[in-house]
Amino acid sequence: MDDEARLKKCFVETFGLSPDQVKDDLVYTGIKQWDSVGHMALVAAIEAEFGVMLDTDEILGLSSVAAARQLLRKHGVHRA
Amino acid sequence: MSVAGKTVLITGASRGIGATLAEEFARAGAKVVLSARTAGVQALAERLRAAGQAAEALTGDVTDDAQAKALLQLCRAKFGGLDVLVNNAGVLVPGKLGMVRMEDARRMFEVNVLAVINLTQYAIRLFPKGKGGSIVNLASIAGTQGVDGLAAYGASKAALVGFTRAAAKELAPQKIRVNAVAPGFVETDMTRQFPAEVVTRTVAGVRLGRIGQPADVARAVIFLASDDAAYITGQILGVDGSMAC
Ligand SMILES: NC(=O)c1ccc[n+]([C@@H]2O[C@H](COP(=O)([O-])OP(=O)(O)OC[C@H]3O[C@@H](n4cnc5c(N)ncnc54)[C@H](OP(=O)(O)O)[C@@H]3O)[C@@H](O)[C@H]2O)c1
Repeated sequence: MDDEARLKKCFVETFGLSPDQVKDDLVYTGIKQWDSVGHMALVAAIEAEFGVMLDTDEILGLSSVAAARQLLRKHGVHRA
Repeated sequence: MSVAGKTVLITGASRGIGATLAEEFARAGAKVVLSARTAGVQALAERLRAAGQAAEALTGDVTDDAQAKALLQLCRAKFGGLDVLVNNAGVLVPGKLGMVRMEDARRMFEVNVLAVINLTQYAIRLFPKGKGGSIVNLASIAGTQGVDGLAAYGASKAALVGFTRAAAKELAPQKIRVNAVAPGFVETDMTRQFPAEVVTRTVAGVRLGRIGQPADVARAVIFLASDDAAYITGQILGVDGSMAC
């Protein structure tokens, strides 16, 4: 599975979405599942999938699918 | 008490209550990850491993964000996650009002409160989804009742009590329980710093008639961490032998 598919999987499994619902413009609080509790579950899923530990500022900035990709690139674990 | 198989992160485990917690959790079949600034914590983990128990250790300051992250990464890498966090690392600098150095007061808040908030934020992400976990904080009778000569330390522990109660409410939907123990006067390096007459006077005021031992506190912590306490959250359990203060 490539890095983009792994990232998508985190959103799909955390929020119960279908893969085509995971688009760059999917944003925090944009769907009811992605509230503050859902956000922590998403962070946990991303951290476990990519083996990183995000700090609080990064978590606060993780506000969309695009932002998540950007953050993982910064950590050098998303190469797509 | 059922903590067998659980992964338990214990801060301040090089000596005192934390070291006893490490030994008792490991003896009960838990996998322990230990942290402290000094190498004693590595030696303790080695001793536990030699006895066939699962133990890892990392030296570093719990107020250091990189150390907090590294600890959680160690839990994930070695044991695949986390079930119990025990925020035990703590510092006490006694001082009557008028003689409290702000530097000491700040340090107590850094270690006793801010490091706990930080580590908790990281730890909750490692608890198994849907199954939750348990957090036990080491508060103090100085935080719940107020103790003469410990106003700054007591303020930091009172903050920890507030944190415990709020976190319990906030994290309950995720099945994460948050409790604290509030020890009285326990025989460790922390209380050895007091003059002999203070020790004598304090112990004389303990209605159960003796100084507390680290094992007295460890048993209460293990109970709160275990599945036996599955319906208990947001509680501050005094472990003080009915100490007068
Ligand atoms: N003893 C009592 O009567 C009593 C009463 C009420 C509450 N408590 C609370 O119970 C907890 C344990 O107390 P204790 O009596 O066992 O204390 P202790 O004997 O002084 O041990 C404190 C432990 O915390 C570690 N520690 C301190 N600062 C740290 C830091 N910045 N980063 C990482 N580790 C740090 C120390 O290890 P290193 O020096 O190796 O870092 C040591 O392992 C504390 O939170 C304390 O406030 C104790």
